[in-house]
Amino acid sequence: MKTKMPITWLAAGLLSAATMGSAWAEYPERPVTMIVAYSAGGGTDVAARTLAPYIEEHLGQSITVLNRPGAGGEIGFTALAQADPDGYTFGFINIPNMLAIPIQREARYSLEDIDPVAQIVYDAGALSVRSDSDITSLEELVAEAKANPGTVTYGTTGIGSDDHLAVLSFERKAGIELRHIPFPGAADLRAATLGGHITMASMNISESVDDMEAGNLHILGQMAEERWENAPEVPTFQELGYDVVMGSHRGIGAPAGMPEAVFETLSGAVTKAVADPEFQEKSMQQGLPLAFQGPEAFGSQLETLNAELKELWEEQPWSQNQ
Amino acid sequence: MDIFNNILTALPLIFSVNVIIAMVIGTTVGIMVGALPGLSATMGIAVLIPLTFTMEPLVALGMVAGIYNGAMYGGSIPAILLRIPGTPAGIATVFDGYPMAQKGQAPLALKISLVSSAIGSAVSAIALLALAPPLAAIALKFSPADYFWLALFGMTAIAVLLSSNPVKGLLSTCLGLVVGIVGIDAMTGAERFSFGNIELLSGINIIVLLTGLFAIPPAIDLAINSMTSQKGAKLDKVQEKVRWRSFIPVWIKSSILGVVVGIIPALGGNIAAVLAWNEQRRSDPDNDRYGKGEPKGVAAPECANNADTAATLIPALTLGIPGSAVAAVILGALLVHGLRPGPQLFRDDPEIVFGFMLSMLVTAILMFVIGRLGARAFVHVLKAPPALLAPMIISLAVVGIYSIHNSMFEVWLMLGFGLLGFGMERLGIPTAPAVLAVILGPMAEESLRRALLISGGSFDYLVQSWISWIIITMIAVTVLVPIWKRFKKQRTSRGSNGPSPQ
Repeated sequence: MKTKMPITWLAAGLLSAATMGSAWAEYPERPVTMIVAYSAGGGTDVAARTLAPYIEEHLGQSITVLNRPGAGGEIGFTALAQADPDGYTFGFINIPNMLAIPIQREARYSLEDIDPVAQIVYDAGALSVRSDSDITSLEELVAEAKANPGTVTYGTTGIGSDDHLAVLSFERKAGIELRHIPFPGAADLRAATLGGHITMASMNISESVDDMEAGNLHILGQMAEERWENAPEVPTFQELGYDVVMGSHRGIGAPAGMPEAVFETLSGAVTKAVADPEFQEKSMQQGLPLAFQGPEAFGSQLETLNAELKELWEEQPWSQNQ
Repeated sequence: MDIFNNILTALPLIFSVNVIIAMVIGTTVGIMVGALPGLSATMGIAVLIPLTFTMEPLVALGMVAGIYNGAMYGGSIPAILLRIPGTPAGIATVFDGYPMAQKGQAPLALKISLVSSAIGSAVSAIALLALAPPLAAIALKFSPADYFWLALFGMTAIAVLLSSNPVKGLLSTCLGLVVGIVGIDAMTGAERFSFGNIELLSGINIIVLLTGLFAIPPAIDLAINSMTSQKGAKLDKVQEKVRWRSFIPVWIKSSILGVVVGIIPALGGNIAAVLAWNEQRRSDPDNDRYGKGEPKGVAAPECANNADTAATLIPALTLGIPGSAVAAVILGALLVHGLRPGPQLFRDDPEIVFGFMLSMLVTAILMFVIGRLGARAFVHVLKAPPALLAPMIISLAVVGIYSIHNSMFEVWLMLGFGLLGFGMERLGIPTAPAVLAVILGPMAEESLRRALLISGGSFDYLVQSWISWIIITMIAVTVLVPIWKRFKKQRTSRGSNGPSPQ
């Protein structure tokens, strides 16, 4: 592989040099690839494929969805970072995963290689307990955890996941210590919580709200700046006095260094696609909490978040990988 | 009688022309996908999902049901004809199916596999229709400790496969366990045996190992044989008479086993099939015939792996907890049509859920019809000259593996495992224990560590629930009964003067 690299770079350089001059006037003139860093049929993939036809419509070109799953998203993000910045490849990015990977291990991509285009979804983190639990509020949770440090169990969808990072941030701000039990996915986590095998689940609000309506789970709080419209009765952590805003962001990213006009066309098409009432209705059906943000707002949010995660890592590395 | 009302409202919906056509297409595609090594139901459905965006929900779901059921049966076709299980759930079918084909009984083996698969699917679909809500609660009862014991119980199935040569079998098991360790450790985030390679971080995909170990060595064998003989195998023209009635107890036992294994998340059809084969052999007084072409040894695993299909959907539809990769992808398909799995699904869209569950039943019947028609064609694979068959199998395996993650690395890995598997076969080391160990090893490890995390390091937690005790008893019976039998046999053969305990 190593010997091939210079040739690939050279070819990539020549190709982009050749296309750049003529391409931006009529971009896009051929089909566009959208990289999804998770498996076909998963939550991110379904969201991406729901959005793709609307971007197609406003971009005027067909979009091929390319799943590059593996290594917690790193394979897909690396493919995105290494793609030619000609506008013909962009990808779905998942935050905080994309930020956390380079912090916790030596990643094969760097954040500078990916430019944020838009945030599509913000799914706030939430803590929930079984309806018959003794703990009924965040206050009681904190009191219980202070009385018995390190005994209250909480489950997440894995080491370094948004669920895990959210609780780490909460522990730090509330000065408490909980016991982490990682699970391979949201389904296993829900089963263990509903079955009473762990005290508490750290799951996104959209994953918890159906169980709350069915009376199975009680949500202690949501980690957003404002209450989500589908869960208006659940207080935010900020309202309760804990400054924790963390969750899963899904957005669009593009390889850094795109010609400005191409970037404008792409981000314009994404903006219009998200605003499309038909797309809005479909997302509503799927329970996707839409939260559109343009490149600047999304970018500055990523910077803040990245700084916070780095601080968290300095204090308490969440993954053993040395 | 809510269930009957719901079924009655859903019936006319699924017998519309569009839905029937979708189910026929789905079942046909499913059988093909299952039969091709490297392609699985999970992938078939995942590829299909974007195509269903514009369809009516029931049309899309009918097709999904067809693929799911069809693929489970399809996996047995190459398992019988070429000893290449098309899906992981087909491993146990190889044990008796391939020897049958070698004896010239390929058409009979295919017929038994088809009938058993259809019966398994139908039982499973009925269980799903009738018992979904009450059975769903069982899935929640399983704690990490119970999962640990379950994985151990699955391992006893490996132990049984070792019987002829334990040392070689253990070698193969250890290979599987080591392969299962590779990747990011889920409990701490540490990278294990990844050698800094990004492609190894998420571990080695079971399909990659399965295809490598099972599809490549037979292909190499075929290629070697093609140098000496130009013709394919011969088929017996004699129609064998089968006493179908003698299969009824096998089907009852295997269906129940498949349904139970299906409801428990994380086990899946592959385990159901091995356990059913194992149980069938254990309970048959004439158990020496198994592994040498015993028809019941084909019926049991095929019935069980199909009985697993709809049952896996019980926790998936009612609780939103998919028990397997296929079920997870099916949930994705539901989501695309705005159907959110969970209790509210049955409340808000009963006609769709019941329509989908009914289509699992209808496709079981369709599978039988399409399978009957297809079987005449499938057996001709045996007549194909090996010189053609070998490169075809290898290219199909390459395409199949590449399409899982669009990764060339996994193709090379699969070919590497293929050479390894070929070497193992030459040395008489069985390959099936390796595949089972890859599935069960990580499951045992993770659930044990998760259980100990929850309990704060106390081992008492492992023996706290009644489910744990039931499984521990099952393990004890499976392990101790053969030992006791052998002991008894030695006693009676040594001195037959004492009264033999009955």
